[in-house]
Amino acid sequence: MWARVASIAVGIWLMAAPAVLAYGDPAATNDRIFGPTAAAFAVIAMSQVVRALRWANLPIGAWLVVAPFLIGYETTAAVSSMASGIALAALAAVRGQVSDSFGGGWISLLRANDGNRKSA
Amino acid sequence: MASEQQRPPGWTNNPSAWNQRLPIVAVALAGFGIATYLSLFQLEVIAAVWEPFFGNGSRRVLTSSLSTVLPVPDAVLGAFGYLLDAVTGAIGGKDRWRRMPWIVIVFGIAVGPLGFISVLLVIAQPVLFGSFCTLCLASAVISVAIIGPAVDESLASLQHLKRVKQDGVSVWRAFWGLRMAQPQPAFERVSSGAGR
Repeated sequence: MWARVASIAVGIWLMAAPAVLAYGDPAATNDRIFGPTAAAFAVIAMSQVVRALRWANLPIGAWLVVAPFLIGYETTAAVSSMASGIALAALAAVRGQVSDSFGGGWISLLRANDGNRKSA
Repeated sequence: MASEQQRPPGWTNNPSAWNQRLPIVAVALAGFGIATYLSLFQLEVIAAVWEPFFGNGSRRVLTSSLSTVLPVPDAVLGAFGYLLDAVTGAIGGKDRWRRMPWIVIVFGIAVGPLGFISVLLVIAQPVLFGSFCTLCLASAVISVAIIGPAVDESLASLQHLKRVKQDGVSVWRAFWGLRMAQPQPAFERVSSGAGR
């Protein structure tokens, strides 16, 4: 749970950072796109049944780390983007508690057949 | 006793239980209230909109070109979406994941796009119009927060339909919750060798 909350905080920070640190495009637009997106994935992944969705923030984090080099950031924006990206990627790996079971989960829908049902 | 029987096979909780669904319905109704209020402003029924943090932000966002790209203001569509969430969240009993898969699937489909569009609008506010809108953000938080708690029911219904299909029973009838379409309980299946 804490990892999702921290991810949401990073996402909100990215939304606010262009105003707080007074930097402009392209960094501002990039952060205003991926901040709310990362926060939304973290909010959804709070639910145990879709906890796997936390991994969506791994590529977002990776992009935030490399974006300053690829599209040209000023220093403060680059530091904020890279720190946020590292945090999002690391937090994506934290699974958190999954105490409930869901009949095999989403992956069970893809299995050709259910072993228990065929065994008789 | 009842909750034991109504729980999907292999599940810790019943995703269709009222204590799981009523909070979603309540939050969707709160979203409906916010979207209705914003609609009234966009339809010029009320002249001002509440905005505690971003100055003129709400007015700029709510009167933006994007908000009027469709025949009705975007908040009206949002209000409709929340109402659909609330109604499809409320219909059916504690075992609707197997008795009424169709309403569960409609519920899941209603919840998903509303959240997706909300995130797009949150991106559009500062990127296209240079401002944020407090109540629009609150509405977006609600629509995203509903998704996780809502989709577990969709999973239970899809697993149910898969079991029905494996048993060679009509998935179509099971989808609409018609009576003959329920799969056999696991113990009968084992003793009778059903399911080949």
